[in-house]
Amino acid sequence: MMSTTLNEAATMIFIGPSIDVTPGLDGLFPDSTDTVVRQVCCSADKPALIEEIVALIGEKDPAHTLLAQKAALMVDEMLENALYAAPRAADGSALYPQREPRSLLPDEQITVRYRYDGTHLFLEVRDSWGSLSQSKVFSYLAINTQETEPDPDRTGRGLFFMWRLFDHLYVRIYPGRETVVGGSLLLQPVRG
Amino acid sequence: MDTSFTYRLAQEAQQEVLFLSGAIDNQAEPLFGELQKRVSGPSLILDFSDVGRVNSMGIALILRCLKHLTRERSLQVQIRGVNQINGMLFKMSGVFLMAKEVPTRTME
Repeated sequence: MMSTTLNEAATMIFIGPSIDVTPGLDGLFPDSTDTVVRQVCCSADKPALIEEIVALIGEKDPAHTLLAQKAALMVDEMLENALYAAPRAADGSALYPQREPRSLLPDEQITVRYRYDGTHLFLEVRDSWGSLSQSKVFSYLAINTQETEPDPDRTGRGLFFMWRLFDHLYVRIYPGRETVVGGSLLLQPVRG
Repeated sequence: MDTSFTYRLAQEAQQEVLFLSGAIDNQAEPLFGELQKRVSGPSLILDFSDVGRVNSMGIALILRCLKHLTRERSLQVQIRGVNQINGMLFKMSGVFLMAKEVPTRTME
């Protein structure tokens, strides 16, 4: 893992309407006793976690089905990032190829938090790498917005999907120490 | 619906149709490479009716496949049976710029 300075300043990026959101992570993911916290140990944990969240929402009507589909995609993308995009060697190259199953290193942590109140779903994934940067975040969003000539190998598409599908998206980066990506999804009526 | 990815190539009238099924993510990569070779053309319909979750890696596979079929082999490719969430992703990532969406054929 990258060397770290514990007191290094964090980058906080918040994208979404600012109404009703107080500063800091507490405002973006209001704390509650209903919040579920899961530690991820390996890539094989991903399907069960997705199923758990989909089951919590239920698929009783089109609105819930769409929310469950969005949630499943968001958790998928966030965990892929934490498992495969975040771990970087000193030269910046990815440590793990994306199609290979992997277990976490002894000093590595991936934490998933989620809460569903029947209307809002809050989702958050933390990794202990802190390898994302503010410039990468904005670059990923920018290059994927200019989709006039689709490029299969364009990077950052997962983060772009999060930005477009989450009602709020936040990214907090402590360089070399921790990246937190989270957001909320709102249950919305589905047009027939 | 989120099972392993599979595909089936069939003929509808004189039209080649590729029925895709399951989740499309990085695990689908070997089969995506295979299915492109089995298509003979000159036109193709990709049917997504039984496709579950498609993530960003799956979008990359679909775009790569469409690029190969439409640009390198000059096939005319159409898409049908896309659910709401996948339709959003296809619009965002330019899939529909490479293959037009057509209505799903109804059973008679």
